Amino acid sequence: MGFDALLDALLTVATGGSAIYVLLGVMLGLCFGVIPGLGGTTALALLIPVTFTMESLDAMYLAGGVMGATSFGGSLTAILLNTPGTAPNAATTFDGYPLAKQGKAGLAIGAAATASASGGVLGLLTLLLVIPIARDLVLAFGPAEFFLLTILGLAAIAVSARGKLLRGLIAGGVGLMLAFVGSDTVSGELRFTLGSDYLWDGIPLVPVLTGMFALSQMIELGLKGGSVAAAIEEGQTRIAGIRDGVVSVFRHWTVLVRGSAIGTLIGAIPGLGGTVASFIAYTSTVQSSRDPESFGKGNIVGVIAPEAANNAKDGGSLVPTVAFGIPGSAETALFLGILVLHGIDPGPSILLDNQREVYGLIVALTLSAIGASILGLILARWLVLITFINVHVLVPVVVTVSLTGVFVLEGRMGDVILAMVMGIVGYLMLRFDYPRLTLVIALVLGETAERSFHQTQMISDYDMLGFMAARPQSLILIALIVLTLLLPGLRRLPVFRRKAA
Amino acid sequence: MRHLSLLTALAALVAAPALAQDDWPSEPITFVVPYSPGGGFDEYARAVAPEMERILGTEVVIENIPGAGGQRGASTVYRADPDGYTIGIWNVPGLTVPQLMGQSSGYDLTDVTWIGNLATSRYALAVQPDSGYESLEDLCSMGEPFKHSDTGPASTSSVTARIAMSLIDCPIQNITGYKGSTDTIIGLMRGEVDATIKPIASLYNYAESGDVKMLMTLEDERSLPDVPTSTELGYEDFANFTLRRIVGGPPGIPAEIQQRLSDALIEAANSEAVQEWSESSNRPLDPVGYEEASAEMTELMDFYTQYKDVLAE
Repeated sequence: MGFDALLDALLTVATGGSAIYVLLGVMLGLCFGVIPGLGGTTALALLIPVTFTMESLDAMYLAGGVMGATSFGGSLTAILLNTPGTAPNAATTFDGYPLAKQGKAGLAIGAAATASASGGVLGLLTLLLVIPIARDLVLAFGPAEFFLLTILGLAAIAVSARGKLLRGLIAGGVGLMLAFVGSDTVSGELRFTLGSDYLWDGIPLVPVLTGMFALSQMIELGLKGGSVAAAIEEGQTRIAGIRDGVVSVFRHWTVLVRGSAIGTLIGAIPGLGGTVASFIAYTSTVQSSRDPESFGKGNIVGVIAPEAANNAKDGGSLVPTVAFGIPGSAETALFLGILVLHGIDPGPSILLDNQREVYGLIVALTLSAIGASILGLILARWLVLITFINVHVLVPVVVTVSLTGVFVLEGRMGDVILAMVMGIVGYLMLRFDYPRLTLVIALVLGETAERSFHQTQMISDYDMLGFMAARPQSLILIALIVLTLLLPGLRRLPVFRRKAA
Repeated sequence: MRHLSLLTALAALVAAPALAQDDWPSEPITFVVPYSPGGGFDEYARAVAPEMERILGTEVVIENIPGAGGQRGASTVYRADPDGYTIGIWNVPGLTVPQLMGQSSGYDLTDVTWIGNLATSRYALAVQPDSGYESLEDLCSMGEPFKHSDTGPASTSSVTARIAMSLIDCPIQNITGYKGSTDTIIGLMRGEVDATIKPIASLYNYAESGDVKMLMTLEDERSLPDVPTSTELGYEDFANFTLRRIVGGPPGIPAEIQQRLSDALIEAANSEAVQEWSESSNRPLDPVGYEEASAEMTELMDFYTQYKDVLAE
């Protein structure tokens, strides 16, 4: 049954004028992705009113185009400016930017584009495969598993801070504390709001991310002067390596598959999202690498893993949607909003009643992931020139655009102030070598961790461990957490050493 | 900032009434939705806005002002100039309860200029189909409080469940923290809770697909042929619990403009396009004008005031 709708959606794109909507979505998604502070959620939120007059399938093509393209767009800024264009690209900066500084931005962009497209396609293929069991999957994961997944994320943070464990823990702890600001999700109690209703809903993520990554990086660049790829001599400005980048993804296909699998799984969990997915993909890649020391210095694998996860998460976030008509991410929530505006009532029978729209979105997402990457590869040659622009021109432009983006999302001046404060905090962390992403991941995970911890306690009548022990899915996650924490130690054992050598 | 808005408000008081009433509307009308785009309140507002635009002959611009559980948007409307160019959609009792508990800021529902009520959603009690619970009595006589899923303690359905169960001395353990009303239904399906009280419209699809079973609706007359109402079953006061999507503006909108806005809203809600949307998206409409809406709001405020101590628990 599903394949008719899938074919139908494919044919509509191939024959009708609908492809134009996908293309339009891709262009928009790329732009919103490239600009720090703007992202897929902003783009879709702004588009909702526009889709009101459109045919519902066309609206899906447009939304799919945007959703599929933002994450790759964001990787461009991450690689070229060490500033993730969207939050999930933060992990891409670790190895993408060092490559850009070495004049190998082409290699990184080629890899990011290919990993994005392949990751997106793999995620959507997985989605198509799990559609028959999507309902059981969604019902198998309850608050206990959400809680364990956040702990898995925190465990990944702890071990990722190799060499600067204490600094990592401090940053993570501060992030968790920031996550407690605002009304308690379980009791509704207001906490640490300093009497300001701005903080009632907690510390908003977008301004924090923009400040932490975009603004702090701009302060750093502005103070340093010159240009991003300053170390490269005049004669070497020719952009090479894009093709090598494309090839590298297929050479490291295990990294690609693992990244995509992690992205799909985490994407399916409401509230975790792409930032966590790409970060866990990155750390797991570092951990399982034979040469973990080479990461952070421009290892191409460190670009492939997070970018694959980042695009695969779109497929994952549609699992709860096709199963029950519920969103798996902020973007899918807006997608469902578009459906309702078109007089469609998403519910548990969404896949039966609204096949056209669901498969239309899947097709659009696929085309968009591929299209955005092709477009990116074509433009890479010129995009790389950004790294040669004098920072005194670059910095004011990026700062203005990203602060505008922060303001546009909710129209609150408080967000702009928060972004600027976090920019300074982020710069200080950069100077004193504290990991910024650790703080951000803890901030993202804190809310879900706290919420699902309380829920599990109440559901289990305050016998959490007994409750989890009776659930195989919980036990698997507990095993993964233990493995994550022990793996770095185990690798030092002689048995493993010999194998690696 | 505050001084500035005070000044503009004063200026508006002096200048606006005479001018505004004659050639109103001569400017675009801002229609505030206190939540992010894509939610229920947003959908209602976006459904009627184009029709109001046609009827009034001026632009009606939707502005989403999310934050603080709808209170940020509510206080923005409340503080706007009462010239009929700023209106908003209000969540009642979602905004009533924080006001009663003294946890609200920047608005007072008793002097909002009500324009009309778009929809009154009714609640229903649902359980898992194979749970063995056949009635509310079954849930109440479990020997321990029955578990009920909800978003937060101040959410409308949470307020409904706690007050309703306290009326019949039925022990309930409210498990909060679910991310939305659909999530609370999924929680029920996963077996984390025994029952949930949610708007009929939210539960309807899941009952149709056999994922949940509705034991009763909280209303006087049956809206679903196969589900008994609370009134039929002898729970008299339960029909008072509703969720309203009501449109109102800042205090002091001139009566003539209030009347015109109300007429436009009702006409829009009854228009073919909006009715069609309501039908296919399963978003019920039962529009009433400003007079009835204002009276109902006073009644509701009194009703919830009675249960202040239950809410404070």
